Amino acid sequence: MTLRLTDITAAVFSLDAVYILTGLVLWVFAWLNFRDRGNRNRRGSALFWLILGAIFALGSVMPHWLTGVLVLVLVGLDGAGRVGHKAHDGETTKTGQAAAKEHSLGNRIFLPVLLIPVLALGFALVFRSFGGDTSRGALVGLGFGGMAALATGLALTKGTAREAFEEGRRLNDSMGSVIILPQLLASLGVIFAASKVGDLIAAGIKGVIPGESLFLLVAANCLGMTLFTLVMGNSFAAFPVITTGVLVPLIVKPFGVDPAMAAIITLTAGSTGTLMTPMAANFNIVPAALLNMRDQYGVIKFQIPFALTMWALHVILLWLLIRLTLTA
Amino acid sequence: MNITELFKLAGVVIVVVGLALRLRTTLVVVVAGLVTGLLAGLPLLTGAGVFEGVPVLTKPGQEGVVNILGRAFADNRLMTLFIVTLPAVGLAERYGLQEQSARFIRRVSAATVGRLLITYQLFRVLMGILGIRLLGHPAFVRPLVFPMALGAAESLAGTRDADTLPEREVERIKAGSAAAENYGNFYGQNLSPVQAGILLVYSTLTALGYAVSLWSVVLYAIPVATLSVVVAVAQFLIFDRMLRRRLAGPGEGGA
Repeated sequence: MTLRLTDITAAVFSLDAVYILTGLVLWVFAWLNFRDRGNRNRRGSALFWLILGAIFALGSVMPHWLTGVLVLVLVGLDGAGRVGHKAHDGETTKTGQAAAKEHSLGNRIFLPVLLIPVLALGFALVFRSFGGDTSRGALVGLGFGGMAALATGLALTKGTAREAFEEGRRLNDSMGSVIILPQLLASLGVIFAASKVGDLIAAGIKGVIPGESLFLLVAANCLGMTLFTLVMGNSFAAFPVITTGVLVPLIVKPFGVDPAMAAIITLTAGSTGTLMTPMAANFNIVPAALLNMRDQYGVIKFQIPFALTMWALHVILLWLLIRLTLTA
Repeated sequence: MNITELFKLAGVVIVVVGLALRLRTTLVVVVAGLVTGLLAGLPLLTGAGVFEGVPVLTKPGQEGVVNILGRAFADNRLMTLFIVTLPAVGLAERYGLQEQSARFIRRVSAATVGRLLITYQLFRVLMGILGIRLLGHPAFVRPLVFPMALGAAESLAGTRDADTLPEREVERIKAGSAAAENYGNFYGQNLSPVQAGILLVYSTLTALGYAVSLWSVVLYAIPVATLSVVVAVAQFLIFDRMLRRRLAGPGEGGA
């Protein structure tokens, strides 16, 4: 039996290996939650992180229907209020920050954290030199960067692995079930796209705009993205819908535009909507409460001139970049 | 347009109503997805494997909405991959990461409210480039940025008591502090290939059959990120002028 070294290397440094690693970390968080007798929700919380860990570790081999059912269990647990925490004594302060140890490491404390982006970049470069996918390289680098940062941190602080996982769990719990929200919103966008919600919007756009005007199509694309974000409170669910329904069929395909360029600018056009909507409570309403503002819409009002200016700049920039790349 | 087509927008209505009623966001999002899919005529499950030929729940040749949910959730695991870094980040926080960051920000001498907010936004963009996630509002804005901004406003008004500052201006300073966090966070995070926005673009385009690279997506995020800093600098400097007019003591506020 010959297992070639390159095969083993390819398996170890794969995206699936990093997913499994993430699953293992989540299982440790689940175990720590289960052991936490001070939390009345400990069983529900432990189950939530256990299932999420399973989706991470096994998501590439599990049938999709099973993953879907597990996601339903996750949101069912969360919806029933079984995930989350009663306040703990000890390390957690009101803002969810850890109380720092007495001795200071100075700027050296940045070292482990900076190792993560450095390794993400480093892995991408190594993958490229072997003719691999640099995107995958960055993600694999993120996973191994996390582990390398942990090892460096432990050496630097003389802390214990247990301490690290307790702190990791504290961060994890402070975000709670919200941690899966971007992933869920992206999935919602995919379901919307499969249900042809985007076609509905595209039909509306085609009804008012003559097909050949690139500028008007770009403006309508950005407007659709922003309006959808305003209503949904988040650009992540709007993005797959607008991209599959409007951007790709009306702009990318007919004009032969670079999809990466058009897509990221469409996404950030949505961000201008996030700045203007009370539906994005975490960014606009919660901070107003945190700062004891009299007007809960005060943050939004401050952001509106910025957001409108940025929106107009998005339209001009996307139109300009398309014109420039097409004539080049 | 067929009127039944409009039923597909039920999911949007569910999200709006659900969030307005402060129901759990995760639950609202998934219910909206299921309802939209079913109203659009998708079956609940794909009629393959164990569900081959099952009536009602499946339709021949169509992917079920639960399957789509599972597939999309698994495909977008990249967006939540950062969990693998939490033990390292948590450990660094325990040994003073936040305090050291705060010291770093405090060292920057920013004489005015506007300049301080610009500095904080740039710090936030830098964190975005490095792929470092912060709960900025509770961790930095409330305990650090707003008090420092208030301090700058006090020295502008020549007072040591924040209560003597006009309430309207204090409200605006609070709003500006929160806005600096949002501006820096929203546009800075797209400068890193391992942050959620870039990964969403990557997974969406890949699913549509376009072979794109994370790095090219980041490259095209640079112009917008640059513009966001320019526009914010303009806004914060205008804000500074407004504060000078309203707060500065007699003799300083002229012209």
